[in-house]
Amino acid sequence: MSATVEQVQAAVAQVIEARERLLSRRTTGEIIQALATAAASWLEPDSPWRARAVAEAPQPTGFSPQMVEEAVRLTFAPITTAALGELVDRELADRHALDGFCRQGSVTARATGPRVIAQFLAGNVPSPGIVSLCIGLILRAGNLVKLSSHDPVFPSLFLESVRAVDSELASCAVALSWPRTETAVTQAALAAADAIIAYGDDFTLRSLKQMAPPSAVFLGYGHKVSFGVITRAALAAENLPALCEAVAFDVSVYDQQGCLSPHVLYVEERGEISPRKFCAALAEAMAAYHTRVPTGPLTDEEAAQITMVRLGYEFRSETDKRVAVWASDRPNEWAVIYDDDPAFTPSCLNRIVFVKPTDGFKRVLSSVQRFASQIACVGVAPFDERAAEFAAQLARLGIHRVCPLGQMQRPPLSWHHEGRGRLGQLVRWTDLG
Amino acid sequence: MCTDGIRLEQKVLALIRGEPGAASFEALALEVFAFQYEHCAPYRAYCDRLGCTPQTVTDWRAIPAVPTRAFKDFSLTCFPTDEAVAEFHTSGTTSGRPGRHFFRTLAVYDAAMVEPFRAALLEPAERPLPMLLLAPSPSEAPHSSLSYMLERLREKFGAPESEYFVVAGRLERERLVRRLCEAQWASQPVMLLGTAFAFVHLLDYCEQENLTFELPTGSRIMETGGYKGRSRELPVGELYRQLRARLGVTWLVNEYGMTELSSQFYSREGERKRASRWTRVMVINPRTGGPAEDDQVGLIRVLDLANVWSVACIQTEDLGRSSSEGFAVLGRAANAEVRGCSLTAETWQ
Repeated sequence: MSATVEQVQAAVAQVIEARERLLSRRTTGEIIQALATAAASWLEPDSPWRARAVAEAPQPTGFSPQMVEEAVRLTFAPITTAALGELVDRELADRHALDGFCRQGSVTARATGPRVIAQFLAGNVPSPGIVSLCIGLILRAGNLVKLSSHDPVFPSLFLESVRAVDSELASCAVALSWPRTETAVTQAALAAADAIIAYGDDFTLRSLKQMAPPSAVFLGYGHKVSFGVITRAALAAENLPALCEAVAFDVSVYDQQGCLSPHVLYVEERGEISPRKFCAALAEAMAAYHTRVPTGPLTDEEAAQITMVRLGYEFRSETDKRVAVWASDRPNEWAVIYDDDPAFTPSCLNRIVFVKPTDGFKRVLSSVQRFASQIACVGVAPFDERAAEFAAQLARLGIHRVCPLGQMQRPPLSWHHEGRGRLGQLVRWTDLG
Repeated sequence: MCTDGIRLEQKVLALIRGEPGAASFEALALEVFAFQYEHCAPYRAYCDRLGCTPQTVTDWRAIPAVPTRAFKDFSLTCFPTDEAVAEFHTSGTTSGRPGRHFFRTLAVYDAAMVEPFRAALLEPAERPLPMLLLAPSPSEAPHSSLSYMLERLREKFGAPESEYFVVAGRLERERLVRRLCEAQWASQPVMLLGTAFAFVHLLDYCEQENLTFELPTGSRIMETGGYKGRSRELPVGELYRQLRARLGVTWLVNEYGMTELSSQFYSREGERKRASRWTRVMVINPRTGGPAEDDQVGLIRVLDLANVWSVACIQTEDLGRSSSEGFAVLGRAANAEVRGCSLTAETWQ
């Protein structure tokens, strides 16, 4: 059911009141403890939150129940007191900066969060929205959350789980749904906000930014692609099963629909294991992961796209040996497509990954530099000194995250999403003296 | 090879023309498959992989389909391409390389376009109408199958004052509008033929200039789909509503054809398309790879025997549904909704 302008305004009034109340009654340490306790309650063996997510989330997200279980682990395991504390320490330089005046070098200052953050969540990958909620609550902001139609479940249930631990804290956020075509409702939400956190495609972000009050802080998180690189040092027979398990995990999680999901794997030639042998081993790992965590039901368009991509490459591979296909017996489960064209090939998603041979990092850089601003993450194996040099070059291109393969879908809580901090950008400082 | 092919071409022509004693579709489809299996090497390699050979395939439904994108990767012909009298190119720009369809002769192509067009767009025994062509002429677009087809239809069925209105890639809207005014004043019914996006440009212009026509009774429109980003996209119902409102034309026909085929399919508004004597249309369930149930959405596959010298069984990228009433085209399969936060092959630039 769509929220109305009046409901949005009432929600704003409610979260502002709750936030004013909370400001004097909770320390950052207490909020972190409450959030970590709520997150931990999702991971317990008989967690009612997880059970409800597994029952309710498959329909809107399009994920299988097993993938929802995976999403629960990936979303809530990183939310610990240590990680939340580290986030505050790093971005505000003092755990207590939101609690009172703290001495920071020659300045004594305290930080204050926005009165109202309007959070526009999007897509079916739950983690970014849950982390945003945690940040909004740590800042003691009033949070007006627009739920994603592809995942109204996780944020609502998370707020319930916070409420079970600390109801006053949970009152600082209200989650509502309305279609993006309801511009008046969106405008009412934006008008009330001192800060806006928005997820979505370029068009959505642009139009929200245009409608936002000019004085509001705007943090937009767009759609991206990711890829992986595997160098000779990782391509040894003894490493192969573990390497492929790690890669299959990164590709398959969220059915490849996340911005951290790799579309292409560049595999260095002249290793003990050739790129084609790597494909065969990766195919086994993709099949094994699919047995454990199957894909969700696909839309007609998604299934048709996969069919066309597979058919195109299968037809071509019988004559043109520069391409080869390893794929599930059933049409839509997964496919590994070998193609020796070094150009980056975006996937149609849903576990269709391209493997491209390369003669090293230099060639990879030249293939990807043209669209560096659209890259979210580069996974590298092994994560050694060569990888560190490569990461320095990627940093120069403006790429924001380089990590070991197998960790692409597990960014630390305090990662610089889109290359920047979040608490630091959202607070305002008051200097004393 | 040539004599086999020429003999086969004659048989297909006989079927298209409905000549007495022509071979049945079912029998001819298997002959065409055997010919193409033998002479088109990339097709044969693929069929072998599937275990489908002229010895094992006994029903036209089992003939392997070639995906349209294979026309980008290969010259799919049963003759040396330097003997081609024509080659048509796809206009798709996504992979940078067009798909190419080579023709050893255009006899079958020319024959196949007549009957379906006549049934959808001509009255029996009527005088030729002026054709207003919202497409480039073949001299402007020598590799466009649409321009070739329209030119042939103009020669065969159009009045002498027929003309093209896309010049140097641009729809000459002022000239077209003048022509529509003249037709209205002279009570001369006209036939407008062109791409859907050209009609959208015309409608936008009429709106901008505040022009509304009441074209004479008997006027008709043939539009053919695909926008490819060249105008705002209008759902077909809305396009037809505006064509009725702005031009006063109620005889509205959609044509479904593509570079990779030699035959076209037509439907009046609200009706389904039907296969001809020499074509069959199947809808494939993308979840199983097998035939879809009646009216279940899937990928359209066409077996077009007029593709004698290339490959006859084409797997399109269009979604559709089919039943005993005929088939409906729903649009390109590329337009999947983005559920997550990843760019996709379609949204990535």
